[in-house]
Amino acid sequence: MIRALKLEWLKIKNYRVFWILISMYLLALLIIASGGALFLQWLKSEGADFNGIDPTILPIFDFPDIWQNITYLGSFAKVFVAFIVIISVNNDLTYNTLRQNIIDGISKKEYLASKMMMIIVLAAISTLFVFLSGLINGLFYSHVLGVDVIFDKMQFLFAYFYEIIVYCTLAFLLSLIIKKSGFVIVALFLYTFMFEPIPVAIFENAPYFKDGIMPQVVQFFPIKALNNLITVPFGRYVFREIQDYISIKSFVISLGWFVFYLGSISFILNKRDLK
Amino acid sequence: MKNTLKIDKLSKSFGKIKAVQNLDLEVIPGQVYGILGPNGSGKTTTLGMILDVVSPDSGNFQWFEGMPNIEARKQIGSILETPCFLPYLTAVKNLEIVAHIKKSNKDRIEDVLKQVGLYERRNDKFKTYSLGMKQRLSIGAALLSDPPVLILDEPTNGLDPQGIAEVRQLIVDIASQGKTILIASHLLDEVQKVCTHFCVLKQGVKIHEGAVSDTLGEINKVEVKSENNVALIKLLEKFEGTEKIENGGSSFNITLKAGFNAKHINEYCFSNGIILQKLNTHTNSLEKEFLKILKDHD
Repeated sequence: MIRALKLEWLKIKNYRVFWILISMYLLALLIIASGGALFLQWLKSEGADFNGIDPTILPIFDFPDIWQNITYLGSFAKVFVAFIVIISVNNDLTYNTLRQNIIDGISKKEYLASKMMMIIVLAAISTLFVFLSGLINGLFYSHVLGVDVIFDKMQFLFAYFYEIIVYCTLAFLLSLIIKKSGFVIVALFLYTFMFEPIPVAIFENAPYFKDGIMPQVVQFFPIKALNNLITVPFGRYVFREIQDYISIKSFVISLGWFVFYLGSISFILNKRDLK
Repeated sequence: MKNTLKIDKLSKSFGKIKAVQNLDLEVIPGQVYGILGPNGSGKTTTLGMILDVVSPDSGNFQWFEGMPNIEARKQIGSILETPCFLPYLTAVKNLEIVAHIKKSNKDRIEDVLKQVGLYERRNDKFKTYSLGMKQRLSIGAALLSDPPVLILDEPTNGLDPQGIAEVRQLIVDIASQGKTILIASHLLDEVQKVCTHFCVLKQGVKIHEGAVSDTLGEINKVEVKSENNVALIKLLEKFEGTEKIENGGSSFNITLKAGFNAKHINEYCFSNGIILQKLNTHTNSLEKEFLKILKDHD
């Protein structure tokens, strides 16, 4: 596994595009994680109020709620990690280095392992980053402190880690199928933020579908299942009930997709002739 | 070890096109084996299959008497038609990847780059290289692990005359170290110059196989000339090895009986007081034989 990871590391460590993308990603995470306080202050300066409540006293940075808030927002930035995966797989196809690596003496399994190890490491870095941002912001702004509340609800960090891995594996599969990186990036972006969420929202809310079977069916869609892991947490600030746990059902559904993605990747790698 | 590579009834189709059909092949250690054939005859597909990048429809192949393929590939240096490296990395960084995959020593990278004449440019990115330099880097990559077997697919494609000469010299040098080489080429002259054995593919079928020297036939035609051609011919008419004499203008072509060669003529003439000005053995060219083989199978 370390050998597989090192192969990937040798390919990207001197690759400028990789460093630009990862910096953009971490910057985006930092803004998302730390910008909340600034945003609330801005709301206040604009004169916004929630039924007479000063927005800056909203306890968005309170432990342990912060973990759900920050991982929910952070999961929007996962497309950047997926872009790294797409570009790295695409390079191996356009420059024929996948074929060359195999000729030189790795198996297709080792190739798969090298990409998956990269995905896992990127997911781990993201999770660590989100954890540290949450910890620092929480220590600054949280109204409650104490080891038991700080380390409560850590499952959201696990869900975040898991969500990135599954999402990037989808990106890996799409890159193998579509082969053109620009096209994959646009397709994945549109699918993640429009092509799936819009129909899902219609099926869940439109009067015609709302009471039928469709709201149940959409729970099985690949992006919806991932989004269901960490749901919108902000309802709690207007006293609405929210899902403040990781749903086992969406975990199992997305695990099913993950197995499907991995299976399809191995199938394509084994069947396709590399010329 | 009995054989380096054994191919058993390998077949591959792309849609309706039968690229390779029931190919049997055996390469033994130390051979320089040429796979000949017109464009599209299945040479590259065959190499792709034995390197595991093209999956065969049926049939088997075995490297080094059954070594697992992944391990075997680490023992093989391959130079294929187009050099494949990451354009944004330098020569050294690209070779580090190869060394990592082949589990070979990184210390050889500099030596290899010197050997192929890229040492001065070692820290330049691959994308800044000319085609000849890219080709030479792939030769360097192939030599990196000092492999006992080398696979070359049209190794001189796209090279300038000097590059072609260099690559050929390199092949001869490597062969003289007792390494086994498998070359796919449509350049007959190339195969004739470097190969010991060859086979001919046509539309994916092997139509001929043999040693290069056997196919070129007995060397039995000698061209001779001396200051006194009349005396020379009189003398050679009495020579026991002479089969036939043809007048070729200023010189004569002598067809010899089996078991005789230029050396015998030279000795005979010299001992009878005639000094030869010209003594030239005619070899058949592989090109002629190749075209004949292809024609026979039309």
